[in-house]
Amino acid sequence: MKSFFKNLFDVKNWKKKTKITWIVVLCVLAVCCVLSAIKPSEADMKLQASEQMQKLIQADENSTRKHVTVTYNSLIIVNYCSFSTSGASEINEKYVGFAGQVFHADEGVGKFVGQMVNYTYRMLGCGENILHGAKLTLLLTTLTTLIGVILGTLLALGKISRNKLLSKPCSAYIFFFRGTPLLIQLFVIYYSLPAIFGFAWRDLFDAADNQAVYKGAFIAALIAYGLNSGAYCAEIVRAAIQSIDKGQHEAAKALGLSYGKTMRLVIIPQSVRRMVPPICNEFIMMLKDASLVFAISLMDITTISKNIMTSEISYIVFLPALIIYLIITAFFTWIFNAVEKKFSLYE
Amino acid sequence: MKKFKRILALIGVMTLIAALFAGCGKENSDNSNSGAASSEKTYDLTGVKLLNDGVLCVGEEVGYPPFEDFAEDGTTPIGFDVDIINEIARRLGLKVNIINTSFDGIFAGIGNNYDVVCSACTITDKRKQSMLFSTPYISNYQAVILKAGDTRTISSFNDLDGMTIALQKETTSDELISDYKSTGTIDIEIVANEKVLSCFTQLDNGEVDAVVVDSTVADGYLAKNPDKYIYAYKDEAEAESFGIAIGKENEALKKVIDEVLADMEADGFIKETLEYWFGAE
Repeated sequence: MKSFFKNLFDVKNWKKKTKITWIVVLCVLAVCCVLSAIKPSEADMKLQASEQMQKLIQADENSTRKHVTVTYNSLIIVNYCSFSTSGASEINEKYVGFAGQVFHADEGVGKFVGQMVNYTYRMLGCGENILHGAKLTLLLTTLTTLIGVILGTLLALGKISRNKLLSKPCSAYIFFFRGTPLLIQLFVIYYSLPAIFGFAWRDLFDAADNQAVYKGAFIAALIAYGLNSGAYCAEIVRAAIQSIDKGQHEAAKALGLSYGKTMRLVIIPQSVRRMVPPICNEFIMMLKDASLVFAISLMDITTISKNIMTSEISYIVFLPALIIYLIITAFFTWIFNAVEKKFSLYE
Repeated sequence: MKKFKRILALIGVMTLIAALFAGCGKENSDNSNSGAASSEKTYDLTGVKLLNDGVLCVGEEVGYPPFEDFAEDGTTPIGFDVDIINEIARRLGLKVNIINTSFDGIFAGIGNNYDVVCSACTITDKRKQSMLFSTPYISNYQAVILKAGDTRTISSFNDLDGMTIALQKETTSDELISDYKSTGTIDIEIVANEKVLSCFTQLDNGEVDAVVVDSTVADGYLAKNPDKYIYAYKDEAEAESFGIAIGKENEALKKVIDEVLADMEADGFIKETLEYWFGAE
């Protein structure tokens, strides 16, 4: 760690590649800062509405049934604003704000940019709480992997234990959760358990909280995903532990270490390196499996993009979806690679 | 002697069974006679284009009770739409072939995979541009369903303010309530599900306060579970109609289906079927 910081400030001795990377990153950041500073403000964007639309908006103010939807999406350097009415005669007005200018976004490049901004904004779950879009996907995947690794390690140790009272239930657990589909486990935990035991996931939270239903569903999803991932991770951990040479056990025994100490100090640290690649795999699979939460009314990236596709009959929505997934995967692959490198010291 | 008795008994039983069958047969033929008498009218099928001669191929998303659903055997489609389309085909002297398909893109298959779509399709101006619709055979409203014992009164959608409701994704209910939310008319949490059944399960489990759904679907659920739910509100103002979607080039088929529907309305078949599936009002 110390050497890392030392290298970081020792600019003169940086490799050429590192220097170039930093220069590019700083340039991009600077451009973004400038662009975001001069993009039109929210108020400016909302003033763009045509006279007809302004009249409709004013009429709405005192009406109990409003008709105009005003959308304002802001993504770092660019923002998007649209006005639309519902009903038989639809009126739509779309604007994109970029670099201090406001552009019409009803056709051509403007339309494309507007759609991209709007779709990305919705898929990232901006303007919503943490249980929407990319935020939900990330949170669910990260927590699931954490639970999975911890639960998996315990289960793996249980499974390879010589105590049958411990190893049989662990094997049964792994058999059950690997042998049934995640979607059905999710259904059982979210729909069947409350019906059988007479409780509601929503009641875990304050009744006045109008997001309680999503929070409840998230807890149910987390339990289902955690239990499922635990079973898969258990097999990864078991394989990694059993791949360590028998000589290590014998050497530890010769030194007088107990079983617990052997595992904790000798075997597990060596097996971590072998666990990391398959766990990274498991993580990426989870990232995509997270889309199954559509079954219990949560909206992740895939579900939102599917919704947009059907409601707007637009197929370019999958473009930002793919890019978002790739960015997330790239980031975590990088982290896992770093972890793997760190634990490679032993070999 | 014993043997003879046995034979006698056997003959007796056989005669009885035969008589029973004969009775049944007679009754059946009576029925069909009376049925034929009421709909003896024949329809002119000239100019009607069908994918298979003598067979009416129907696209349906089977899984939307009470309009269309699989019976317990898992293969026989049953429901209001199924009854209607079977009766139409029977009167036209055609066989029916129901093709189960997903509702996404169901209309793209008209003329390729099936002749018509009869799957609780709302008639909209937008859809009318690309296909023909028969005369409406059922009207539908948006309805709010509460759990039995709930004392809230709902007299308009504005009363849903502050509640958490469930609805089926990409339906008229979804469009309507999402519009109420996005325009800022009411503050509401919308839980959107793929299937109607999930909405009612969530209501049962107490995850949501209410379900907004097509009144026809609600009628079906309430008829089945009268003490589980209450009908809180029905939006009488905005009716929508369901029709049978027909290929744009098949004007003749539309004409003949309209004729049959008019006759079915006149002789009370539609009313009877409505009462059977949705309960008497």
